[in-house]
Amino acid sequence: MSVETEGVRPLGIGAIGVVIALVALPVILPSVTLASEVVVFSVAALSCIFLLGQVGLLSFGQGLFFGIGAYVSAVLLKEHGVGTLPAIAAGSVVACLGAALLGLLAVRRQGVYFVMLTLAFAQMGYFAMLALRDVTGGENGLTGVPRPPLIAGFGALANSGAVYALLATLAFLAYLFVRRVADSPFGSVLRAIRQNEARAEALGYDIRRFKTAAFALAGLLAGLAGGMHTIFLGFAPPNVIELEMSERLVIMAIIGGTGAPVAAFFGAGFYIVMADVLSALWPRWLMLIGFLLIAIVLFLRGGLWGGIAAALRWARDRRHG
Amino acid sequence: MLQRRTLFGAGAGLLAAPSLARAQGDQIQIAGVYSLSGTFANVGDLLNKGTQWAFEHYGTGAGKRINYTLLDDQGDPGRAVRRVQEAMGQGVKHIVGCTLSSIALPVAKEVHARGGVYIHMAGADEATGSECNRASFRWPGASYTAVNATLRPFIERNPNAKRWYTITGQYVFGDSLLSNLKTVLQETGRQHVGNSYHALSEREYSGYITAAIAAQPDVLAVCNFGNQTLDVVRQAVSFGMKRNVKIVVPWSTGLDQFQAWGPDICEGVYFGANYWHGVDAPGNRVLQEVVRAKTNAQTNYLQACGWAVAQMMVEGLNKAGTADVPAVIGALEGLSYQGPTGTEVIRAGDHQVIKDYYLMLGKARSAMRDPADFAEVLAGTKAFQTPEQAGCRMS
Repeated sequence: MSVETEGVRPLGIGAIGVVIALVALPVILPSVTLASEVVVFSVAALSCIFLLGQVGLLSFGQGLFFGIGAYVSAVLLKEHGVGTLPAIAAGSVVACLGAALLGLLAVRRQGVYFVMLTLAFAQMGYFAMLALRDVTGGENGLTGVPRPPLIAGFGALANSGAVYALLATLAFLAYLFVRRVADSPFGSVLRAIRQNEARAEALGYDIRRFKTAAFALAGLLAGLAGGMHTIFLGFAPPNVIELEMSERLVIMAIIGGTGAPVAAFFGAGFYIVMADVLSALWPRWLMLIGFLLIAIVLFLRGGLWGGIAAALRWARDRRHG
Repeated sequence: MLQRRTLFGAGAGLLAAPSLARAQGDQIQIAGVYSLSGTFANVGDLLNKGTQWAFEHYGTGAGKRINYTLLDDQGDPGRAVRRVQEAMGQGVKHIVGCTLSSIALPVAKEVHARGGVYIHMAGADEATGSECNRASFRWPGASYTAVNATLRPFIERNPNAKRWYTITGQYVFGDSLLSNLKTVLQETGRQHVGNSYHALSEREYSGYITAAIAAQPDVLAVCNFGNQTLDVVRQAVSFGMKRNVKIVVPWSTGLDQFQAWGPDICEGVYFGANYWHGVDAPGNRVLQEVVRAKTNAQTNYLQACGWAVAQMMVEGLNKAGTADVPAVIGALEGLSYQGPTGTEVIRAGDHQVIKDYYLMLGKARSAMRDPADFAEVLAGTKAFQTPEQAGCRMS
C-alpha cells in the first residue's frame, strides 16, 4: 500500500474509517488525555510520513518544526491573548515558513547528507530555544499557557472532552489535506521524484522547488501538531524541540508505515499506548521499542498499516477465489 | 467522562490505574510523579522508594489510610502533565515528587489550576520565586542556597583562597550556580580569574582543566551536578590539582556521589549537600532506621528527598486534620517539624522549606569510621533569599 495506490481509492472510505477511529479513541483508551496525545502525535507523524512516503525524504528535523509550532502558539496564547485557532494557525504558518527556508538549503543535498543537514537544523533549534530563554522559558519550558475560546470569544474549551474534539477535528483535517495533496498533480510530481529523481528532472520539473515545497508542507503539519500539543498540555516543554522528538516522530512513522497517511494514526497510537504499557513493566522500555523497530524494518517493511493492508488484500483475494 | 469510561472502557481503565479505581472514602489518594523509566530512571527509582517508605512508615494522614500511586513521567514533561491530568480527573488532589524542574514547574501549574496541593524537590530558583503558587511547596534548597551555604563558610575557613576559577555546565542550572558564585566572590572581595563553559554532552574535560591550571587559581569551583560533576572532579584530581588548589563542589548529592568517587578522590575536596546521613537529628534517626531496615545501608540524598516530600504531606494532613486541600495548604504554611536535616520550617511567603544546607570536607580513607563515612560536616547553614528577593508573588 502506498500513498499513490491509496490515492486512487474513493476519499470517503478512508476518511470514514479515520472518523470512526477518532470517535472511538477516547472510549477505547483509558483516558481522554491519552487519546488526545495519540491524536497530536498522529499529526506530527503524518508530517514524516508525507515526506518519506511521498517524496522519499527522511527528515530528522521534524521535531524542530513541531517545536516552532508549539512555542509560537504558546507565546501568542500567553503573551498576546490570541484565540486558540489563530494561535495554532500562526504556529503552523511560522513552522511552514521556517521549513521552507531550511528546505532551500537542505534539498541541495541528497541521501545521508540531507539527513545530516536536518539533524543539524534540529540541534540548532534546540540551542536557539535555550538561547532565547526570555521568550521560550529555557530549560523550564513555557508554563501557564491558557486555553482561550477557539476564536473571538466563541467555542470555549471547557474540559478535556472539548479539547479532544478540537484536536481530533484538526487531525482529521490534516489527514484530508495530505490525501488531497497526494491526489493532486503536485502529489504526482512528488511521487515521480521519489521513484526516479533523474527522470523527473529530465522531464523538466524543478526538483529543488518541488522538494522545498514538500518540506514546507511537512513543516506546516509538524507545526500544526506542535500548536495542538501546546493546547493539549497548557504549556510548551523544552523537549518539544529536542532532537529526541525528531527521532520519536520518525520511529512512529516507521512503525505505522510510510505508505499511507492513515498509517500515522497506527504508528502514533501504537507507540504511545505501548510506552504506557511497557513503562509499567520495565524501566528500560525504550529498548523494547528498539527491538520492535528492528523487527518492523526487517519483517514488516510497510509498517503496521502495511501489514494490515496486506492482510485485507489477502482476505479479499480469498473471498474472490 | 468517568461514567463513559466505566461503561465502555472499564477494563482498560482499571489496567492503567488500578489503585486509583479502588479509591474509597476512608482512604486518601496521594500520587507521586517520578521518572521510573527512560533517561532518569535511576534517579526516579530512589526518589520513589524514599516516598513509598515514608508513606508505609506513617500509614495514615488526617486519620485516613494513605493509598500511594506512582505516576511514571518517563522523564517527559508532556507525559508528566498528562498523567497528572488523568490522576486529578479521577479525584487525586495530593501530589508529591519530581526533581526535574522542567517537569515540576508545569506540574505545579497544573496541580494549582486543578485545585490540588503539590510538594516537590525541583532545583530551579523560580519554583519558589517567579513561578511560585499557593499549591506548591519545595523541600531542598536551590542554587542560591547551595552557593551561599557552601562558599561563605568555606571562605571563612580559607581566608587566603583569593583567586577562583570555575568550570560550568552551560545550561540554566550551571549558569544559576555561576551567577550566585560571582555575587558571593564580589561581596567577599575574592577574584574570579576565569570560567570554562562546557556543553552538556561533553565527557572529556582535560582542556578546561589545563586552562584552569594555567590561570593559577587558589580554588577550582565546579558549577554543575550529576555525572558531569563526577567526571570533572575525577579528571581534576588525576591532573594533580588537589596538591595546590582547593576544589569546591557547591552542589553534590552526597553519599551516592562520594561512593562513585571513592575516598582517594573525595579526600580534601569541599562539597555542598542538601542532606547527609550522618547528621544527628530526630527526624533523620527515624529515616535512617527505616532505610537501614529496607536496604541494610545508609540513606542517600535521593531517598531522603523522596522521604522528605512525603513526610511534609503527612505532617500537613495531620495538622489540618482533614484532606481538604485549602486546609492542608494552610496547615503547611509556617509548619515546623522534625525533618531529615533537623527542625525544618515551611516558610509561608514562598513555600520554601527553611533547612540546613551542608558544607562538607572529604575524609582520608584512614579517617573513615565506616564505609559510608566519606566526609565530615563543617557547617550547616540556612541560606535562603527572602520571598521578595526571589520574586515570589503568591497566586
